[in-house]
Amino acid sequence: MVEYFLTHIWPILSIFVHSLAVLVLLLVAVAFLLLLDRKIWAAVQLRRGPNVVGPFGLLQSFADLLKFVFKEVIIPSGANKFIFIIAPFVTCTLALAVWAIVPISEGWEVANLNLGILYVFAISSLGVYGIIMGGWASNSKYAFLGAMRSTAQMVSYEVSIGFVLITVLLVTGTLNLTEIVNAQKSEYGMFGWYWLMLFPMFVVFFISALAETNRPPFDLPEAESELVAGFMIEYSSTPYLLYMLGEYVSITFMCALTTILFLGGWLPIFDIAPFTWIPGFVWFILKSVGVFFMFGMVKAFVPRYRYDQLMRLGWKVLLPISMAMVVIVATVIFAFDLYPNVATA
Amino acid sequence: MPKLTIDGKEIEVADGLTILQACEQADVEIPRFCYHERLSIAGNCRMCLVEMERAPKPVASCAMPAGEGMVIKTNTPLVKKAREGVMEFMLINHPLDCPICDQGGECDLQDQSMAYGLDGTRYTEPKRAMAEQNFGPLIKTEMTRCISCTRCVRFTTEVAGVHELGQTGRGEDAEIVTYIGAVVSNEMSGNIIDLCPVGALTSRPYEFNARPWELRKTETIDVMDAVGSNIRVDVRGREVMRVLPINNDDVNEEWISDKTRFIWDGLKNRRLDTPYVRDSRGLLIAASWSDAFEAIAKQVKKSDAKKMAGLVGDLNGAEEIFAFKTLLNGLGVDNIDCRQDGSNIRPEWAGRAGYTFNSSINGIEDADALLIIGSNPRLEATVLNSRIVKAIKHNEMPVGLVGEAVDLAYEYQHIGNGAESLNELLKGKHSFAKILKSAKKPMIIVGQGAFIGDDAKAIFETIATLATKIGAIKKSWNGLNFLQTGASRVAALDLGCVPKDKKSNKSTILAKSKAGKLDLLFLLAADEMKLCDLDNSFVVYIGTHGDVGANSADVILPSAAYTEKYATYVNLEGRAQLGQKATFPPGDAKEDWAIFRALSAHLGAPLPFDSLEELRTLMYKTVPTLANIGGLDAADMGAFASLKVSGEISSTPLLSTITDYYHSNPIARASAIMDDCKAAKAAAIAEATGTNG
Amino acid sequence: MMATIKQTINSLFLREFVSAFFLTMRYFFTAKPTINYPFEKGPLSPRFRGEHALRRYPNGQERCIACKLCEAICPAQAITIEAGPRRNDGTRRTTRYDIDMTKCIYCGFCQEACPVEAIVEGPNFEYATETREELFYDKDKLLENGDKWEQQLAKNIELDAPYR
Repeated sequence: MVEYFLTHIWPILSIFVHSLAVLVLLLVAVAFLLLLDRKIWAAVQLRRGPNVVGPFGLLQSFADLLKFVFKEVIIPSGANKFIFIIAPFVTCTLALAVWAIVPISEGWEVANLNLGILYVFAISSLGVYGIIMGGWASNSKYAFLGAMRSTAQMVSYEVSIGFVLITVLLVTGTLNLTEIVNAQKSEYGMFGWYWLMLFPMFVVFFISALAETNRPPFDLPEAESELVAGFMIEYSSTPYLLYMLGEYVSITFMCALTTILFLGGWLPIFDIAPFTWIPGFVWFILKSVGVFFMFGMVKAFVPRYRYDQLMRLGWKVLLPISMAMVVIVATVIFAFDLYPNVATA
Repeated sequence: MPKLTIDGKEIEVADGLTILQACEQADVEIPRFCYHERLSIAGNCRMCLVEMERAPKPVASCAMPAGEGMVIKTNTPLVKKAREGVMEFMLINHPLDCPICDQGGECDLQDQSMAYGLDGTRYTEPKRAMAEQNFGPLIKTEMTRCISCTRCVRFTTEVAGVHELGQTGRGEDAEIVTYIGAVVSNEMSGNIIDLCPVGALTSRPYEFNARPWELRKTETIDVMDAVGSNIRVDVRGREVMRVLPINNDDVNEEWISDKTRFIWDGLKNRRLDTPYVRDSRGLLIAASWSDAFEAIAKQVKKSDAKKMAGLVGDLNGAEEIFAFKTLLNGLGVDNIDCRQDGSNIRPEWAGRAGYTFNSSINGIEDADALLIIGSNPRLEATVLNSRIVKAIKHNEMPVGLVGEAVDLAYEYQHIGNGAESLNELLKGKHSFAKILKSAKKPMIIVGQGAFIGDDAKAIFETIATLATKIGAIKKSWNGLNFLQTGASRVAALDLGCVPKDKKSNKSTILAKSKAGKLDLLFLLAADEMKLCDLDNSFVVYIGTHGDVGANSADVILPSAAYTEKYATYVNLEGRAQLGQKATFPPGDAKEDWAIFRALSAHLGAPLPFDSLEELRTLMYKTVPTLANIGGLDAADMGAFASLKVSGEISSTPLLSTITDYYHSNPIARASAIMDDCKAAKAAAIAEATGTNG
Repeated sequence: MMATIKQTINSLFLREFVSAFFLTMRYFFTAKPTINYPFEKGPLSPRFRGEHALRRYPNGQERCIACKLCEAICPAQAITIEAGPRRNDGTRRTTRYDIDMTKCIYCGFCQEACPVEAIVEGPNFEYATETREELFYDKDKLLENGDKWEQQLAKNIELDAPYR
């Protein structure tokens, strides 16, 4: 009986509890990151930002959540009701699902997949569906156009992201995220992480991550001042909330992924006394928030791209660079016989 | 033809003109308050001062006749200073209450002080204040504002012909007052509101109601009497706010009667705004148009054309009378009568000349003797009566009256009560016969009161003979006039709305209905009859107000009042004039011709027109004179010469057909202002006769 | 050639991006000029044109005499007035005085046109409503505003008087 419990039920229960913990923490984190985002933007523009709900406006996101939930759900009469409702759930679920494999610290993850990167690929590619479903189901030309633009943009930048990941894989020789982090451990501390070694790829990845998550300056699908939310134009209330939530969860995920791939995950900046006392997850969160801060700053100081500029950047600049880097990195590895130690795999 | 120079321009003007008139001809504007083209010259406001060469001081141009070689300057510093000075004096005692004054926005004093006045005042002493006067229910006074121009006094005496106003006191105490205890109660009194150049006399019913800039103005034709006064209907939103006269030298000059002016509240009360059908319990129930038409169609189907009749009222335009007649004729009905005042006059007696005012209203001023028969023009055609007053004042025209002796606002020789006194005139026995005989342009005005009885034809022939004998009908002069009272009467007679059967008239039609010999009776806004015994007929009433006609109807079709439709009105002279639509009919009510067009479609025989233009084209083809809008076709007088007296004349007194002046039509009966006028008039008469206890 | 290389290096290493980052960081830490609005308020000129009010004389009699000049001057045609004699003394008064606050453009012409300083635009600008209908002000609402703000309105008029 006990054995049965341990072998069959406990793993499921454990995964469930893990997932729940990640989910709750993630959503709370998103709430505060949203506030952070707004505060950063406000600060750059010499404003105060939300500061009324709770101390320093800390509860603003929860107030917004309540507002969204209590608003009326409006479904356009011509909409495909089922798909219209399901689309935001798809976006949100996929954005959350990808967090299953993120190691917050050594061994702190829901699932330690050997094919972690592949999983990331698979799930984030599916994210497009939520958008195109929502855009199509709205039965509005504006929503549909927004969805098309969004899809084209995400597909374009996924390609560069793919090549960036491949260079990282070439260096680490593994698809497991935990091992990718561990591979960055060296006596040089933060200078041994891949951001320096693969600096161009770090930059390309950061830019692509912005574009992939529809963040400014690549927020063309929803450009609030021009397109009034693009594919989400017909959405209101909770479905809209789910879209926004999905988007911010994706953003946090991209921050986490940047941390894992280039900023040494939970590793302390230097492997010496005072830094090693700080637990790994704190490092991880600090680094992720740092990346998010950059996301926020970019929003504040880079003007929005035009659509053709966006496409040019994706296909004519980032893609050639990342492809070239794959070749260069592979050549360097081959030429100097720097094959990663794959025995651990 | 004196030649004079005005502002360096030489101009030759007619003899007897004043400098002010000469300036007008030279297109030089002279400000004025007391001067008015149609009133005598007072010369007391001094606003029209101009500089004249070799004159020691500025001269009042309104009172100074233009003379040969005068050199007039109107744009010199002296004139400017004179105007500023006069204006400053004028404003010394004029209160600065423009914001609460109804004249604000259309005030001569306001405009002229802007144009010619100073912007400040040097006067610091207390201003004069005057007590309000009681000018009756129509005119509100604020005598503090009065600038003593005396236009109102001159109007009542000269145009209305009554002595009701005067000025007392001198200098600062000068005051316009009524005769002690009396109110202004003549039927033209409303015109003094227009004449007053300031806000001293304003309209009481219109008190504080609207500002001139809020109003949409529509020029149209009045239907309160057959004169066809040209009016301007001022509308705010969909509501008629007031009625003002517009100038037409051939018809009403620039006067209108009080009934015309103050009828507007009647357009809002007791209106029919939806069709009604009487149900089995005998109650009128609001219905849809199609239900109402269905009820009529059902009745038409089971009625014999011989047992149907139509009566045309007094307020209709020619278009709807034409549509009405065409519709009924199409059903085979020829028993249509428009003479709802009971007159037995028939158009075939003497053609159009036999029922119109042949000499035209302007012709009154040319006449040098006047015989009125069976009429009270003061009530039947108030504005026309003021022309008679004018002719008497200017030509000292003698007036004789056959009929009831009433107050006509001028002196007349009462010849007799009944028509038999015509015989005396015919035989030349009466003293007035000599006056008529010696007159170059004698005029006879015959009211419809003369033709009420069965001896109508004999009276008509007698009058025709008399007219021929005294020279009222000759080549150059056409003095035999018939005075109609209904605004639609001449058009209806033109269109032939009299029963084919010569014995039939409105009394016989109503009697037939009472006797149950009439199945279906159409009333086109016909209310001025005793309509209480129509239970035996199915009555269709097409009209605007819930009045007598609607009360006795089985089906009510709501239509548009005269301010709410485009229509042609033919006045008593036979002058066709176009009325314009100033506002919309209330609720579901429709324009009359459209009702008949829709009804005809329900009866299965659509009328041959789909628009007002098509209707008019067809109507003009039937009666070409109606196409002469605004003009006057001289009627052929030839038929009178051949008429011989063929019957006996009874001695019944000839009474005017207007018995209740202030309530003479459904709109007037719905008007609270008219009620007030009637009460005020009754009170004034009671006081005058000392019967008020 | 040099320029191309320079530009390539600049763009590759995101020089502009970095300098923009530092620029924004400088602003990030500068003092914020924002007024913490519902808790702090900026100064208002006595000529400030906010919510309308109909004033009364000190004895309680309403000032408005229904001259309709404000209605006439209103460029947005937001004012509707109906006038009539008052029942007890026959003086000229409004029977209806409506301002459609959704039409009003707050130009202040009504205030300037008014011969008796009855209609004024007061210092209040915080009158947001939940429904559109609430912004169709009638005479009662305007008089109520007048009673509520009279002290400040009178003060503002007095302060502005030398410049009129």
